[in-house]
Amino acid sequence: MDLLNQIIREPVDPDYAVAAALERGPARRRWTLGLLAVIIGALFAVAALQTTRAAPALQLERTELINRVQNAEREQDQLRGRVTSLTQEIATLRAAALGDDDAARSVETRIDALDAVVGNVGVAGPGVLIVVDDSPSATADARDRVLDIDLQVLANGLWEADAEAISINGHRLSNLTAIRSAGDAITVNYRSLTRPYRIEAIGDLRTLQARFVESSAGAWWNDLAQNRQMRYEISDVKQLDLAADPGMVLRHAGRATS
Amino acid sequence: MIPLLGLLAGIVLGIWLEPSIPQVLQPYLPIAIVAAMDALFGAFRAYLEGTFTDRVFIVSFISNVLIAAAIVYVGDQIGVGSQLATGVVVVLGIRIFTNAAAIRRALFHA
Repeated sequence: MDLLNQIIREPVDPDYAVAAALERGPARRRWTLGLLAVIIGALFAVAALQTTRAAPALQLERTELINRVQNAEREQDQLRGRVTSLTQEIATLRAAALGDDDAARSVETRIDALDAVVGNVGVAGPGVLIVVDDSPSATADARDRVLDIDLQVLANGLWEADAEAISINGHRLSNLTAIRSAGDAITVNYRSLTRPYRIEAIGDLRTLQARFVESSAGAWWNDLAQNRQMRYEISDVKQLDLAADPGMVLRHAGRATS
Repeated sequence: MIPLLGLLAGIVLGIWLEPSIPQVLQPYLPIAIVAAMDALFGAFRAYLEGTFTDRVFIVSFISNVLIAAAIVYVGDQIGVGSQLATGVVVVLGIRIFTNAAAIRRALFHA
């Protein structure tokens, strides 16, 4: 505080008084003073010019970046659509190739059963809807926000409670799904989510919610809701429609030896 | 009168000629300007108090600008550049306000 006091008490260089007491002659350095004034004025003008000149350029750069991100996202959506149509084509081709005998039919039944489990096809049915969100006072403390681990725990709890299919904000979870933070957002299937988070899980309506609440994930989220005031709503839904995970693609195929 | 005319001439020159500041020096320009403003207000106050001498003004102006820029430069090298810049602005800002208040009192007796 002593430093601040000194700054306030002595805002003018004390040398002014000393020098004034020493030299009492006519001012000799008028031209240097004028030159210095010119330099100061030029400094002001240049700085102001540069700041005003740089502002639109920065804005332009920003909009350009946003545009690029949006374009890339559109492209990704298109590619995902193409993946879905190609997957359908693969399914029809597979059905045609398998033929129509008993062995082929049993293989197809197996494929149909497994497709739903691994997230290769869209599924529909009754289940629970869980809506979670950051606590309202979430600005300061990162722990008041929903983290990737919270969603991981939630999803694992639902699997544990015998959920048959889960999707978060419309992104279907599969074996290959990663739920993780990237920057400020949580990503599922490498797509960033926006709040609030809607987790839909298809399963047995009679047991799913009860078993989830009793699991360790239920306890985890109860704790978050009570101690950190996060939004946490769980409700039964008669009809849920979960899309397929477009990330599930055929990676390897070979001709059957028959 | 000469300093005021010089200031105006400098502003006109700066806008007219648009000299480009080298990229390396650009971060120090705002800090140098704050230091210059501090020296200007100090000089004006000294002028009103009748103790103004151009020698002290020139020396204090140049040393203020150089030291402020040097502090920020050193800060940039050790990774606390923006904090040190804030410190410089705060300290010089206090001085500018105190001097401005004294000038106001001397000019308007209020």
